[in-house]
Order: sequence, then C-alpha cells, then structure tokens
Amino acid sequence: MAKIPLSIAKYIRSMWMAETIMTYLHIDEQDNLIAWGGYPQHYGLDNLATGKSAIEQINFLEGLLNLPHTQVLQFMRVKEGRCAHVHIIPLDKGAWVLMFDATAEHERQQVMQQQLNELSIFSYRQSQLLQDLETAREQLVEEKNQLEQVSELKSKFISTLSHELRTPLTSIVGYTKLLDEAEQADARQANYLVSVKNNANHLLSLIDNVLDQATLEAGQVVLNPNSCELKQILSDLKSLFFHTAQDKGLVFEINIPVTTPVRVIIDELAFRQVLINLITNAIKFTEKGFVRVTINWQDERLEFAVVDSGSGMSQEAMQKIFTAFHRESTAKTLPGAGLGLAISHHLVKLMEGELTVESEIGKGSVFNGFIQAPIAHSMNLKDEQNKRSQLGATILVADDSIDIRHLMEIYLKEGGYTVSSANNGDEAIFLAQQLKPDLILMDMQMPVTNGYEAVKQLRRDNFTAPIIALSGSTLTADKNYALEVGCDHYLLKPVFSKELLETIKPFLNNA
Amino acid sequence: MIQKKICMIGDFSVGKTSLVARFVRQSFSDKYLTTVGVKIDTKLVKSTDGHDVKLILWDIAGNDTLTTAATSYLRGSAGFLLIIDGTRLPTWESALNLREAVTKQLGEKPFIMLLNKADLTEQWEIDQELIDEKVQEGWILLKTSAKTGLNVEEAFSELATQMLKV
Ligand SMILES: Nc1nc2c(ncn2[C@@H]2O[C@H](COP(=O)(O)OP(=O)(O)OP(=O)(O)O)[C@@H](O)[C@H]2O)c(=O)[nH]1
Ligand SMILES: [Mg+2]
Repeated sequence: MAKIPLSIAKYIRSMWMAETIMTYLHIDEQDNLIAWGGYPQHYGLDNLATGKSAIEQINFLEGLLNLPHTQVLQFMRVKEGRCAHVHIIPLDKGAWVLMFDATAEHERQQVMQQQLNELSIFSYRQSQLLQDLETAREQLVEEKNQLEQVSELKSKFISTLSHELRTPLTSIVGYTKLLDEAEQADARQANYLVSVKNNANHLLSLIDNVLDQATLEAGQVVLNPNSCELKQILSDLKSLFFHTAQDKGLVFEINIPVTTPVRVIIDELAFRQVLINLITNAIKFTEKGFVRVTINWQDERLEFAVVDSGSGMSQEAMQKIFTAFHRESTAKTLPGAGLGLAISHHLVKLMEGELTVESEIGKGSVFNGFIQAPIAHSMNLKDEQNKRSQLGATILVADDSIDIRHLMEIYLKEGGYTVSSANNGDEAIFLAQQLKPDLILMDMQMPVTNGYEAVKQLRRDNFTAPIIALSGSTLTADKNYALEVGCDHYLLKPVFSKELLETIKPFLNNA
Repeated sequence: MIQKKICMIGDFSVGKTSLVARFVRQSFSDKYLTTVGVKIDTKLVKSTDGHDVKLILWDIAGNDTLTTAATSYLRGSAGFLLIIDGTRLPTWESALNLREAVTKQLGEKPFIMLLNKADLTEQWEIDQELIDEKVQEGWILLKTSAKTGLNVEEAFSELATQMLKV
C-alpha cells in the first residue's frame, strides 16, 4: 500500500475534525489545562486559558479526572442545542478529553424516546382509569345487592301484612254474599249491602294486587297450567265489565274468532288476571268511545289485544308503565295502587309471552300480548263428575277462626255435605279418629297444634282420606311443605263457595 | 471555591429537568420534553452553615433501572436527588431500585428523596405510611413541586449541606 504523504494526512485530519467538530483538551496531573484544539466554542467552552485549573473552566470534568480508565459520556448537552460524545482518556499521569458532535443523532433519539415515554404514561393513566371504573362498578354491584335485600324485605313485609288483612276480609266478603243471597233485606238495606259488598270486594282486590306484586317480586309464583275453556273465561269477563262500561257510556266488545280452539292449556287464574287488569285500566282511562278486546289463537299461541279510545300516554309514561307502583299522572285521582299493569307484565312473562303497549296522548292505547297456549284435548270432565254422586259425604273443617268455620260449614252444607268442625289441630286429630270423615279441610295456621303438625300426626296414624290445606300464605315454600307433610291439595284463602265445592268434588269421587 | 457534582436520579417524566429549570432559571413549562443522555447545569448555593458551594447538576435521562450510560454519568458524584412522581406509584418502586444500584456504584453518598408534583393533590398516589417507613430508616424526604417552586431551593441547599458534612 502506498504511503500517504504527510501533507495529505494533515488534510484528511483537518477534514475529519471539521466533520465531527472534534475538540481536544490536554490536562496535566495537577488538573491544569495544558493545551486545546479543534472547536471548543462549539460546545460553549469559550475563553479557555492554558495553565489554569481545567475543572474550574470545564464544569463537567468535576470528579472525572484522575480515574484509571477511559470514560465515555454519550450525549452530553453542554450548551443549549449542542450535544457531544465526550471521551476522557488517562495518559501520562494527565488526561486527554475528546469531544465529538452528536447533535443530529441526539435529535433523532429524542423524538423516538419522547414517543415511547408518552405512550407509556398514557397507558398507565388508562389502566388507572380502568381500575377506577372497576372499583366504581364493584361499588354499584354492592349497592344493588343491598337494595335488592331491602326490596326483598319489603316484599316479605307486604306479603305478611296482606295475609293478616285477608283473613278478616274473607269473612266480611263471605257473609255479605250470604246476606245478599238471603234476599231478606228491604230496598234500603239492599243498597247498603251492595255498597258494603262493592267496597269489600274492591279492598280485597287491592290487597290481592299488592300481595301478587310482592310474591312476584320475591320470585315465588309458580304457574299451574290446566285445560280450560276460553269462551267461558271471555264471557265471564264480558259480564264482569259490562255494567261499568255501560255506566261510563262506553262500547265494550270482546271479539273471538270462530276458529279459536275450545280448550287450551293455560294458567286460567293468571290469564284472567292479566285481562282483568288490562280491561280495568282501559276503562279507567277512557271517558268516551270504546274498549275492545280481541283474541286470536295460532301456532300454540294465544294472542290478545286491549284497545281503547282513551286519553293515551306519552312516550315517557309508556316506558315506565310496567314498573311497580308507577302511576300515570292523570290517574292521581283514580283509585288503585298502580300495580295492575306491572303484575300483568310479570305474569305474561311467566307464561312465556310478551306484553307491549303502543300509545299517543289523546289517541288511545293498544296493549298487545301473547302467551303460550297449547290445545287441550277435549274431555267432558264436568259431566263425568256429575254422574257420580258424593252426596252425604262427611267433611271435617278445622280452623281456629269461628267465622271461617261457619262460612265453610254454610258452603259445604249447601253442597249437600255433612259437616263437623274442630278449632285446633289436636281437636282435628281427635275428631278425625272418632268420626272417620271422608275429607278434612285443614287450616294451616292454628294455635296449639298447627295444621302441618296435625296432618303429620294423622298420616302417621294411617289416616288415608284426602286432606285439603286451607291457608292464607301465597309462599311456594308453605304450599310445598303442606303437600310434603301429607296434604292432597292447597287452597288459598279467601275461598268461595264455587271454588271450594269444585275443589273437593274430585277428591271424593276418587275415594 | 468548593465544587460538588450531583445527579438527578429517577424514572422518566418525574420532573428532574423541571426541578433543575425551576432551581437554576426560576422557570417552569407544562410541556414534556424528555431528556436523552445528560444535561449539565451549574448553580451557586449557600450551605446552611454559610459556605458558597458551586453545584454541578447532572440531569440524567430517566429510567426505571440504572443504564450503562447512566452508570458512567454517575462517576464523581458527591450526592444525588432521588425523585419520584407522586401521581405515579410505580415511580416510587423505580426510585428504590435506582437508589440501591447507585449506592452500589458510588458507595454511600448523601441523597434526598423528592416526592415531586406535590401540587397535584387530587392524583396523589403515595400513602403516608410508605413515607413514614422511609423516614424511620433515616431517609430525608421532601414533597416538592417544580410547578409552584415548593421546597425546590430547600432540596438543593439541604443536599449541599449534607455533602459538606461528609
Ligand atoms: N404539575 C406538575 N407537573 C410537573 C412537575 N414537575 C414536572 N412536571 C411535568 O411533568 C412532565 C415531566 O417533567 P420533566 O421535568 O421533563 O421530567 P423528567 O424527569 O426530566 O423526565 P425525563 O427527562 O424523561 O426523565 C412535564 O410535563 C412537566 O411539566 C410538578 O411539580 N408539578
Ligand atoms: Mg428530563
């Protein structure tokens, strides 16, 4: 290789020093600056004086001289906007300091690092926010649970209260009915009686609604689907509402196509209740025009619609109408606890259906719904039952309330049965053994020995005749327990003559 | 005159550059411009016992561990400020790790821990318990704010005093 002449080598060196803006400082072992070269002003090192302390003139050297090894300090910003790689090399008891410009490289690195750091802070803040959200969510869940507990307690309380109210009311309604049927009263007394009857019925249905809502909220309702006659239900409804509608001057219609099956399997009570609530509501909010009920059956589904020409409601009201204890503001002066629609909505859902509303203020309302209703294969149950006679059967009534006992006796005697009565569980056990009745009607909540205990004892003593539980409790647990201890059926108070007789009939037939 | 080199140690964006800017130039900016490498500044202080001390401030790029580059910047330091961002708990953990690594490099040197951004009380994430624990161990901790200037002068002159004691 050819030797580079000294002049060329010098030329290359100066080119390279200018390119890297190289600066060098030579420092002796007393830390004094001996010599310098290159471009120190570029790095802010102005007015360098040889023979004086290097550390005092060049601040960054503090603590770095007299170290045994070469120090490399990258990206040192010594002056605003200028950056250098600094090498401190110990040599001959002194040191050489070399500086190379790194400003451009520094700028590139700075942009990258900036992005990385900002991203990292951003994601930290984001995770903090998510954590805050999660904490807030957990708090809400906790609050929701507490509210649910309160709501459950409320339902239980309402349920208990309603039971207490039901028992005396049963007596009132029952005796009023009997008085009414006796037809001995004069015209004035008859009017009073109608008033008592209407109000007692109204009070009973209010309590029933409150109780239903409480039971629904507590999730304790179990449906009891059975074969029933659609036309009968609808004609009952028609006569139930005919007078009220007429009094208000409204046209009240129930339309049912001829193709509708005669019998379908549904929970008759629940379905009746839904329609009663919807029709009551429609009549309540309609001052003139009509209330029309349409029924249609197809594909195992029973569709129904209640249409009225009443006051209608706002979009906002429609959203709340199926909520318990909500009442449209126009209804403040009208009676009712605002539960009917909520209960209907709930019941329809239980019957695997849907209930919706369409309405506009001043243009009436349309309630549309459907429930599952498979066809029932027709059988003439009633005739079958009637053929057999059960007249003369003995029935033991056990109830601690003398009023209820009398009422049941009257109903049963009307049905042609022989009746004995007991006023607590022990007496019921004793009489059952003595009289060997064909059926026992047993109140479950009695003092001394309650109904459950009495039934248990009787079944232990091999008493085999049917026992029908009589109770004011709508709780499924109570019902199940009654059946578990040996009752054959569970009747809910208040019980009226027709229901009572229809319930006990099949038990005596089978016997 | 006495000259002392001190390093600003801490995770990124805790406010090292801002504390130096407040101390040296009485200025503050909300804009974040990350430091790459190291920036040198100087400032004269009076130690609590009246000595003039020239502080050579090394404002080092922040990181949660001690990088090789940072290790070489550390050499010759007489003390350091250990800085955390009070609104980011993880920077406390970084500071503890850094303190250990620095001590390994330099041996025991005076330092003060600065809980910076004390003006952001709403977002504060450092429990008093953590602080008390360190005070028990004999550490000096100061709540600072480069934004309001809270305890900034105090931090530097306290460190100067500590270094002169050695
Ligand atoms: N509110 C508030 N903000 C601050 C304070 N100190 C710093 N900041 C802000 O925090 C961000 C980061 O500050 P820097 O001083 O650049 O942080 P650094 O520690 O030097 O960061 P690196 O150089 O990346 O290690 C900037 O946006 C500053 O404005 C303070 O005391 N209060
Ligand atoms: Mg910085």
